[in-house]
Amino acid sequence: MRNITIAQRSAFTISVEAENISPDKFAPLTLSQIKSLAVWQGNRQRTLSDLFVIEGDDAPAKAEELTIRLSGDFSQVKRIAEGMTAGVVLAEGSVGMHAGNNMKGGLLSIAGNADDWLAREMRGGKVVVMGNAGNYLGGGYRGEKCGMRGGEIEVRGSAGAYLGEHLCGGSIRILGDAGDFPGAANQGGTIFIGGSAYLPGAEMSKGTITVKGEAKVLPSFQRLEIVQVDGLAFQKYAGDNVDNGKGELLVGVGSS
Amino acid sequence: MIIRGGIVYDPANGIYGDEMDLFIDKGRMVESAKGEEIDARGLLVMPGGVDAHSHIAGKKVNTGRIMRPDDARLGTQPRTAVCRPSTGYTVPNCYAMGYRYARMGYTTAFEAATPILEARHTHEELEEIPIIDKGALTLFGNNWQVMECVRDKDLSKLAAYVAWGLRAARGYGVKIVNPGGGEAWGFGTNVKGVNDAVPNFDVTPAEIIRGLAEANEMLRLPHSIHLHFNNLGKPGNYTTAIETLDMLKDIKPSRMRQVVHVAHMQFSAYGGTSWRDFESKAPAIADYFNGHSHATMDMGQLLFGSATTMTADAPLEYGNARLTHNKWSNHDIELEESSGVVPMAYFRKMLVNAVQWAIGLELALLVKDPWKVLLTTDHPNGSPFVNYPEVITLLMSRPKREAEMATLHDQVPKRTTLAGIEREMDWTDIAIMTRAAPARILGLEDKGHLGPGADGDVSIYDLRPEEVDTSQDHALVKKSLATAKYTIKGGVVVSKEGQILATPPGRTFWVDAAVPQPEADRVMVDLEEKFARYYSVQMANYAVQDAYLPHGKAILAGLSISRGVA
Amino acid sequence: MSEAIMIRDAVCSFCGCLCDDINVEVEDGKVSRVRHACRLGSSKIMGHGRIQSPMIRKDGVLVAASFSEAYERAAQILLAASKPLLYGWASTSCEAAKKGILLAEEVGGVLDSTATVCHGPSVIGIEEKGLPGATLGQVKNRADTIVFWGCNPAEAHPRHSLRYSSNSSGKFTPQGREGRKIIVVDVRETRTSKNADKFMRIVPGSDYEVISALRMLIAGKGEILPDVIGGVKKVDLADIAATLKSARFGAIFFGLGITHSRGRYKNIDNALSLVAELNSHTKFVIMPMRGHYNVGGIGQVLAWSSGYPMSVDFTRGAPYFNPGETAACDLLAKRDVDAALIIAADAVSNFPHATAEGLASIPVIQIDPYENPTTILSDVVIPCAIAGVEVEGTAYRMDGLALRLRKLVDSSLPSDEEILTGILESVHRQRQRKANQGA
Repeated sequence: MRNITIAQRSAFTISVEAENISPDKFAPLTLSQIKSLAVWQGNRQRTLSDLFVIEGDDAPAKAEELTIRLSGDFSQVKRIAEGMTAGVVLAEGSVGMHAGNNMKGGLLSIAGNADDWLAREMRGGKVVVMGNAGNYLGGGYRGEKCGMRGGEIEVRGSAGAYLGEHLCGGSIRILGDAGDFPGAANQGGTIFIGGSAYLPGAEMSKGTITVKGEAKVLPSFQRLEIVQVDGLAFQKYAGDNVDNGKGELLVGVGSS
Repeated sequence: MIIRGGIVYDPANGIYGDEMDLFIDKGRMVESAKGEEIDARGLLVMPGGVDAHSHIAGKKVNTGRIMRPDDARLGTQPRTAVCRPSTGYTVPNCYAMGYRYARMGYTTAFEAATPILEARHTHEELEEIPIIDKGALTLFGNNWQVMECVRDKDLSKLAAYVAWGLRAARGYGVKIVNPGGGEAWGFGTNVKGVNDAVPNFDVTPAEIIRGLAEANEMLRLPHSIHLHFNNLGKPGNYTTAIETLDMLKDIKPSRMRQVVHVAHMQFSAYGGTSWRDFESKAPAIADYFNGHSHATMDMGQLLFGSATTMTADAPLEYGNARLTHNKWSNHDIELEESSGVVPMAYFRKMLVNAVQWAIGLELALLVKDPWKVLLTTDHPNGSPFVNYPEVITLLMSRPKREAEMATLHDQVPKRTTLAGIEREMDWTDIAIMTRAAPARILGLEDKGHLGPGADGDVSIYDLRPEEVDTSQDHALVKKSLATAKYTIKGGVVVSKEGQILATPPGRTFWVDAAVPQPEADRVMVDLEEKFARYYSVQMANYAVQDAYLPHGKAILAGLSISRGVA
Repeated sequence: MSEAIMIRDAVCSFCGCLCDDINVEVEDGKVSRVRHACRLGSSKIMGHGRIQSPMIRKDGVLVAASFSEAYERAAQILLAASKPLLYGWASTSCEAAKKGILLAEEVGGVLDSTATVCHGPSVIGIEEKGLPGATLGQVKNRADTIVFWGCNPAEAHPRHSLRYSSNSSGKFTPQGREGRKIIVVDVRETRTSKNADKFMRIVPGSDYEVISALRMLIAGKGEILPDVIGGVKKVDLADIAATLKSARFGAIFFGLGITHSRGRYKNIDNALSLVAELNSHTKFVIMPMRGHYNVGGIGQVLAWSSGYPMSVDFTRGAPYFNPGETAACDLLAKRDVDAALIIAADAVSNFPHATAEGLASIPVIQIDPYENPTTILSDVVIPCAIAGVEVEGTAYRMDGLALRLRKLVDSSLPSDEEILTGILESVHRQRQRKANQGA
């Protein structure tokens, strides 16, 4: 196994775009080559080592044998682990927008919070967030039909608005609350929300959304029977009937 | 400038692969000149490419961009010392359009449909497209003034209005899209055929088409009417196509050219009664073209992958959006037109798409005279124009066609005749379909050829016509055509091996057709009333001002009209 | 005293209506009388207190400077920044916008328009569903049913109803207002709702649910709806749905009441679907009520130049677009810009508080004819001639129609386009100087 640790040299005012921080990009490179990878801060192109201290094993190794540790706060660093296919990225703190964009494999684990668009257009692999996630978790790009198509996301805290928008596959599990419109235009993915949600599943045509806590449900969802899942009672709805009504929404009835 | 030793294809001047030197001086082809020498020994040399039908500028193109950030993010390239940034694939930004045409060896492209009311916007975008020369066809087929003149059988007034409209729009020619259907769409309906009455206007599509064709010839316009048929895109529509063409065959052209140019014929060569028994009627259409000389067409070839459909045929677009469950933009233009934009993807395994793909190729291969068929994809309806090299190689190589067909829905050989077509085009055919014929069909005398006085637009490809086997080496042909070794525009090397070296502004051609003052005055009476009662803008603010054509080039036409010709 | 000159059919450069029938009398180089314009347009054309001279902040105080000094200082600020924001563009010409986009490319900045605080959500909705629209004349000539949703044209677009909508008349609408049904949907009574045939008052933030319910009713699936949706009884909603469905030509105009209530772009997304579905039954179009006269124009120019209609990040040389990340408000709230050029917009007054605060901590260049709250925190202030009054140019009406603005009177001040050109030239000069020093 190869280990590489990255720490910020000092706090940023302007956010940094660092799509090169990814096991796939690091794998074939020596440490000094990694240090000279490009990152952008606004309109200034810099090298990774201009902004970060990079330490670890020097010898190139396959992506699946690589673990990248992000030491400290990376909440101003965007696009970490973009497109990664294998290996592990461990963030000890928080990460900026677009972490795990278009991720296809491997593990992205975040001990702090993740900013908006975590795992946008994810295809495979796993993302775990111990804190909260921002808006558009597992979402898509503006104007695209599909957001996330595969893989697994787990958030121990809460998530922001529009989580799993245009979800076409994969699963998202939020232990806390979700913001507005989770699972909008869901076309075949699975979402579990441990807390509450507002207007889940708008225009969904396929897939399942489960909200364990309270949910404001759209009038265009058809109320069906009460079902038991893992010993808990859920009100089942079919929706969204403004579309074909073939999605499934389960809302907990335990507390209300 | 001297271009040395190229193998030149200039069919308009009877040159079919001769080794020769070419000379350019002050932006024009000349008999001899000095200056920069370009070594083209043994390489394929043709006039700069001319695209006679492409959607490159105006409201619907920009609507395509605005509703498709998903497309804009494809093909993104940063700015350079010479170039502005590029974005988009099916709906590129203005800069990318100029650079991509130039890289491919094209130096001229015409926007296919602009309503007069929104022509100002079209010219704003045309002016922003670098390098290439351009022009815009003007929509007349659903225009209230046109329909009233047709209803009143007042042909001279109609001609006077067309001349006025072209000048107001700074337009190049008369475009007709689903005549009558656009007006009907104003209340959500359509016309079903050429003899179906247009609601509220007491005219038929047939009368509109014929009236405009006659007015077009009366005005001696450089281009003929440019027609998008009724019922386009529907199974069984080939009968509408033939019925429409046949009612125009007795009209005498005022110039040495066709009487009607059919836009994107592929979309109107359909048999069957529904999508279920959908089949190609390309052979019937090709027979008609082989037997008649008054009509030309462009292919409107469809290729698999992403496209964005955009047309003044608004009801068609609503149908497309409902059928594919896709996003839908619509834009109706008061007193003049309607239009729509819908993203699209075409699939090899989708029978309808695979048959459509074959129909475009059948048309081009079955029509014997290449001067009658232009190579287009109806960008970006059938495919983006950057894929022209794919279309060319399909026309030049039967093995390539067979390899492609093997990947398609297996019903294609039963629903089309493509599998049995042996014809493989040569460089002369291609030079005609992409250069000489579009220029002649548009009436652009200085384009599409390399004779003295022609525009100094030349493309040189890294291909040796005397060595390469276009049937077998189609991959090499495609690669070489995609990126010209040199593209020369007006005597300036604008692109070399894919790198843009210079971005001169292109010119915008428009047609200024003179009509006798009394006829112009008669139209003004009608127009003043229309502006007072119906238009939402004042007449004084309607016509495109000179400021929008800093590189405009007027082509004069027109005729003295005597009353009672109709 | 010279004789008054009458300028006919001038275009009013105040709101998105771009009324082009304004008659203006000019005496001694000044506008003396404005006819046909509403009070808002009239007041703009007549003119009021202007910034007289460029100013540069020195030792904390704005002091008068020459234009060339102001351009040099502005270029210095932009070149020193690693992420400059170029914001505004709603009340100037497309010609200025073109130069601004070039400047944003040159200095590697983010360009955003005031759409970000008005119809930005509409644009995102359109990216989801497309825009089934028409020119305003189409509504004038054909519409027998008009819905105003979350907008109040009686106050914000005073001539809209007479020229284009409720009270206009045309070929198929000879009776004007009498032949039309006007429906207003809003969370409160307005002057517009008082003139309506039907006012549907909804609970704030319930737009999305109400639209979904209408879609269900239009599709004949009303039976599963609850009895009350968004504070409206199902029977009343059914009545509205029936009216929409039976229209010969219907039009929905919408405003900030729906784009900025809970749901934001999803509300528009849903409304666009409603209109698309209505077209299976009859003819319907929908249109945002754009506020500033050329907020549509910057969107058009930006789209054909960069591929995107707003919030475009040029910092890495290639355009990147992602509202929520690249919009002016997002960047300022996150303190993710280090300089700003504000043109043809009063950012400080229009931004949310936290966002406006973001401006206070960075160097700001202002280009504007008028002093406003943004001036107070600017480091460079450059006064300009007013497009559509003192300068010609292009503007796009709320329906996307381009019109040519007239010049009515002379100004000694440069146009926005000239100012931006001046700054661009300074940028080139300073960059060249730096390159020479480096060599």
